[in-house]
Amino acid sequence: MDAIELTDISIDYGARRVLSHLTLRLERGMVMVITGQNGSGKSSLLRVLAGLQRPSTGHVGCVTGTQAVLPADARQDIGWMAPDLMLYRELTGRENLRFFADVRGVDIPDAAIVALLDRVGLQGRADDLLATYSSGMTHRLRYAYALLHRPSLLLLDEPSVMLDERGHALLEEVVATQRLHGITVIATNDPREQRFADTLVRLEGVV
Amino acid sequence: MNNSLLWRATKAVFVREVRSELRSRQALNAVALFAVCSIVAVSIGLGPLNRSAELPLIHAALVWIVLLFAAFTALARVFVVEEEQRTAAALRLAAPVHAVYLGKLLFNLVLLVALTLLVAVLAVVLLRMQVKAPTAFAVMLAAGSLGLVTGTTLIAAIIARASSRSTLFAVLSFPLLIPLLVTAVRGTALALAGAGWDRCLAPIQTLLAYAVAMFVTSLFLFATVWED
Amino acid sequence: MAERLALIAKYALGLAMAGIIYAMFLVVPQYVGLGDAGRIIIVHVPTAWVTSAAFALSAIYSIVYLRTRSPLHDASAVSAAEVGMLFCIFATVTGAIFAEVVWGTFWNWDPRETTILVLLLIYAAYFALRSSIDDGARRRRLSAVYNIFACVTMPFLLFVAPRVADSTLHPNCAFLQGSKCEGVSLDLNGAKISQLGDVVVELKAVEQVGDMTRAVVEVRMPGLTEYADLAPTMDSEGKAADRPEFPGQSFRMILIEADPQAGTARVNMQAPGTGLLSNQRTLWVFLASNVTFGLLALWIYRIRATILQVSARLQTTEAF
Repeated sequence: MDAIELTDISIDYGARRVLSHLTLRLERGMVMVITGQNGSGKSSLLRVLAGLQRPSTGHVGCVTGTQAVLPADARQDIGWMAPDLMLYRELTGRENLRFFADVRGVDIPDAAIVALLDRVGLQGRADDLLATYSSGMTHRLRYAYALLHRPSLLLLDEPSVMLDERGHALLEEVVATQRLHGITVIATNDPREQRFADTLVRLEGVV
Repeated sequence: MNNSLLWRATKAVFVREVRSELRSRQALNAVALFAVCSIVAVSIGLGPLNRSAELPLIHAALVWIVLLFAAFTALARVFVVEEEQRTAAALRLAAPVHAVYLGKLLFNLVLLVALTLLVAVLAVVLLRMQVKAPTAFAVMLAAGSLGLVTGTTLIAAIIARASSRSTLFAVLSFPLLIPLLVTAVRGTALALAGAGWDRCLAPIQTLLAYAVAMFVTSLFLFATVWED
Repeated sequence: MAERLALIAKYALGLAMAGIIYAMFLVVPQYVGLGDAGRIIIVHVPTAWVTSAAFALSAIYSIVYLRTRSPLHDASAVSAAEVGMLFCIFATVTGAIFAEVVWGTFWNWDPRETTILVLLLIYAAYFALRSSIDDGARRRRLSAVYNIFACVTMPFLLFVAPRVADSTLHPNCAFLQGSKCEGVSLDLNGAKISQLGDVVVELKAVEQVGDMTRAVVEVRMPGLTEYADLAPTMDSEGKAADRPEFPGQSFRMILIEADPQAGTARVNMQAPGTGLLSNQRTLWVFLASNVTFGLLALWIYRIRATILQVSARLQTTEAF
């Protein structure tokens, strides 16, 4: 994916319009940060970008060369994580990642899965059931889920909300790496993360 | 969609379902318990039945009623649990749509076949069910099971996003399963009574035709149900 | 101009319906063996086919909805389903009443009864599904899918339903418009015992009595220990004349063919009510009733669809 285009995107919560006619374009190497109060539509916008939710108006185009496809058709190139992303608690960290790799059709050797777990700070916990992880560890696994298939578009919703200082370092590393080969969109209220932004979008609350 | 990719994803979904089920054993326990209780209740309640011309029909009806209601308790699990545990989003984002359907369908099929085996054994032991044409009986049960899962898996996906799921699953599935039930009971009765292949073939064909129709329609409609 | 026409049409429909009800009770003659119960067919049959048509319409609009995702099409699908359900309940109840009076049981698992019941269950399930989903778009989408899925099972039901009545407990060819089976052939010098449904019949004699041909058939009803002799007769033109009743049942035996010289006869079971429509007056009232009920259903559907569509439009504009 070379770029992602939002055209006239609106998002409604029932009868309430929280986002109105947003149009922008993001290219490789760019990082966009979205801030706003709770309920202002940050998470919904990320879900729309991921193809998990339909916008009330407008559409999203994932552009590669001259071709544009819907996010739902570009799943293999999009990585998404959010606090409400749940993985399978009855599987281990390694089994979860292996499952999602198989299901995405990504050829990734076991060693690479272990390396990924190390990268996100879960070394030695690969074979523990997800149900035994702490909330911080669960959140780190979400990073692994989003990065597993090396997506061009990385969508991070509240990426450091459950993490400590070391977790924050992980986020910095991830953003820096993603900047080199793809697009990053972060939804957050943490002021520290706003400095990542090339583009900053502030969503106003409801009047 | 690349076929080998689809197959690999389907297999992954199926294996994951099996693994999760073996670790929690929720559906297995519920289904086995239901089957045992039902057959025991009937056996105790009816006592030994006299051999009559109608006994195969009664046995066939009992077997299929137990299978039907056990199916109602267990076959929606594959989709309902994804919604309850909130893992559906992760799956939606990562898996090809049809792999999700096929993998879960396969799991339901394996679960139902295991249940059918259990019910058949229990019926023979506790109800003194006589199986005079075993191969036809086995084929009839297999074809009926295939019809049962293909008819209900799409419904399971539909009700997973609704409330009052367990009752809704039975309410939505039952009218659609009536043709299956009628054919399966009659066909199984024929097999129990020892009818030849010439008579057993027709119900088997009907059951398979039903399964194929349900399967193809589900494939067409599943993407619409699964999307958010 | 169009409004005028609509007003006239509405009144005309009301008059026609009143006319049908009047005719049903006062114009149509009574029938032997049926009494007044036969009149219910005038309203039962139209409601039955209307409900099937409504179901088909609902499915079509469901398919259209999935293409266009317009709430207006979903409103049409729901209205058609509502009309269908209304008429289905009516058809089932009138059918059961007729069955009780004429055949002695409320429910027979006769193919048509089975089909109408399944249709009723599908309608109920459709509405149960709709009421259990809060999100509007999801509700429309999922109920449309269910509607279509349910439609696919209907051909199997139509194929399988006749076999439901194939059990040992119920008669086989007891349909309203006369037997669809050809009956059984009996031969004094060969196969003189056979079965009609689950009744064993044995030919005892075939004789000419005046200008009527008569067959004497011994019948053994399941569960009864006595045998009974029935003597159906046929006139010189080959039309069945005397149709004796089976003991304890409302069914009758008719003689279809008979050859006193060869000693062969063909007999069949017939439900009372056969030949109901051969009376001219009944036939015309019946046809008129079909048309009237069809128009009535259409009218109710149009009103309901308009209400739902207006409501759908209001919801979309309300948001902003």
